[in-house]
Amino acid sequence: MAFKDNRQFIEALERTGDIVRIKQEVDWELEAAAIARRSNEMQGPACLFEKIKDYPEGFGIFSGGIASYRRLAIALGLSPDIPVRDMFAEYERREQHPIKPVVVKDGPCKENVMLGDDVDVFQFPAPLIHDGDGGRYLGTWDIVINQDPDSDWTNWGTYRFMLHTRRALVGQPLPLSHLAMLLTEKYVPANKPMPVAVVTGADQLSTLVGGAGYRIGESEADFAGALAQEPIELIKCETSDLLVPAHAEIVIEGEVIPRVTQMEGPFGEYTGYRSRPGGDGVICQVKAITYRNSPMITMVSLGTPIDEAGVSGGITMAMAYKRRLKKLGLPITDVSLPLEGACHVVVVGVTKGGNEIAQQVRDALTSRRVPITKIIVVDQDIDVFNFGEVLHAVGTRCHSVRGVMIKEHPGRGNPLTPCYSTEERAHGLGATALLDCTYPLDWPENDLPVKSSFNTIYPESIRQKVTENWQRYGFK
Amino acid sequence: MKKEYVTWLVRDEQLMEEQELELTIRDLTPGREKYTGLNVKAILSSSPDKLPDGDILWIRSGTGVLHPQPWAIKITGDLGEFLSRSPFNYADLLAK
Ligand SMILES: Cc1cc2nc3c(=O)[nH]c(=O)nc-3n(C[C@H](O)[C@H](O)[C@H](O)COP(=O)(O)O)c2cc1C
Ligand SMILES: [Mn+2]
Repeated sequence: MAFKDNRQFIEALERTGDIVRIKQEVDWELEAAAIARRSNEMQGPACLFEKIKDYPEGFGIFSGGIASYRRLAIALGLSPDIPVRDMFAEYERREQHPIKPVVVKDGPCKENVMLGDDVDVFQFPAPLIHDGDGGRYLGTWDIVINQDPDSDWTNWGTYRFMLHTRRALVGQPLPLSHLAMLLTEKYVPANKPMPVAVVTGADQLSTLVGGAGYRIGESEADFAGALAQEPIELIKCETSDLLVPAHAEIVIEGEVIPRVTQMEGPFGEYTGYRSRPGGDGVICQVKAITYRNSPMITMVSLGTPIDEAGVSGGITMAMAYKRRLKKLGLPITDVSLPLEGACHVVVVGVTKGGNEIAQQVRDALTSRRVPITKIIVVDQDIDVFNFGEVLHAVGTRCHSVRGVMIKEHPGRGNPLTPCYSTEERAHGLGATALLDCTYPLDWPENDLPVKSSFNTIYPESIRQKVTENWQRYGFK
Repeated sequence: MKKEYVTWLVRDEQLMEEQELELTIRDLTPGREKYTGLNVKAILSSSPDKLPDGDILWIRSGTGVLHPQPWAIKITGDLGEFLSRSPFNYADLLAK
């Protein structure tokens, strides 16, 4: 059974030794995020900050929930030690069976209700995450919910939102996000404000699907249900008809006002850099706040790998790319995005290699927006989830002339990628390098180099003998 | 006690002295409401002597790097809670 909320998940993390409860008071201004960041960089445990400066006992911050594949496995109800390949396979299997959410009448997110003049977003310990960020982010590891007024499509997206005034948040759903799309196509022409809910502290799987790229018309809540293998419980907002996760910690109900804005950012982003100035953000005018007793904000202390944003992109982008490649009938085994690559490096395993296939893989992966910069294609003997093996292939099997193919992708580049100049970003210029690590198809089989690894260069009989006698030789 | 504020530049040429500017600042008064946003008209000066009744304004570059010396700021008007323009070019987005 999946965890209904972060509280149950935290208990599970305690049982496996994957969380630290910090009882000592910490400052919402930089200190909490610095602690979480350091733990991320040490690949340490998740952090629960129980006492935050300036705020009442019990108003906490939870960070790093699924900042490792180990903790993602726990969130999925799998063994913490499951091989990444097996977890990906299970995730892929579950994702194929969306489960519609159910609507409940009562839920813990209604334990406290702030309405009217009482509304004040500064009553919650929104952290200043990096020194020099443009504001305090209440929404980082969040879900922002909006509705298509003409259908039953409810969109969930993970978009950052910072505090502006007591009754306003400002965020930056990008122009191509589904939130911006619904706003532009449905609410702006009707000259109407768009109801929205910014949810922090929803269960980890719901938040994970908020960051995943599903199609127009697909409700992310159904996929959260798929991952949880049971329906997500939703509850109606106080001031709109939007449905929000009933077990969430804090729900900010509001409206997006289409024709006003406010400076948003800059912010240290998932690339591991703060690489561009702030800009005109989307205003959420807050109408109500509902929250649990002793609420905790979920914070991702974003930066250099590895954090939960990287894990989120690592698995959700791999799933989306795999779907796309399979649909085109390309001979692929698996897709991975090594977490150290901050969602910029993709590794694709193929059952049949060669330059032509590699280029078809590249073309498929770059047919829409191109958030990546390097595409590595490897033969099937390489484990795409083992970055050591992948690097071995890049070094030894990728010909630096024939095997490296550079291509520009005008208009589809990622403006957040640090290597692009201001000029390139302004025009959406982007490029990829394809590193083809497969052997050319026209090389005679007998001329192929023989890989000298335990599994490939010894006869079965020797391998069996060695593994069977391993302890007897004196190994542990 | 002088109040302290901070602003983030989008372009360096935004910084002009001794003339009224429009800018967004955030209030650095310690406590729960620290970093509340304000849109103001103000006069800035790089030398605090020239604005003796001014407050302190810390300045950060577009990517958030702090200028070592704060400027002085004299707030001359309030521009309201939000800026009156759209976050996106809706017409452009619709055309796509
Ligand atoms: C921690 C985190 C923060 C994110 N912040 C933003 C953001 O501020 N704006 C944005 O457009 N996308 C952001 N993303 C990426 C989106 O969540 C992702 O593109 C998702 O597919 C958007 O949902 P949509 O396809 O329904 O628009 C973020 C992702 C993560 C994991
Ligand atoms: Mn969506």
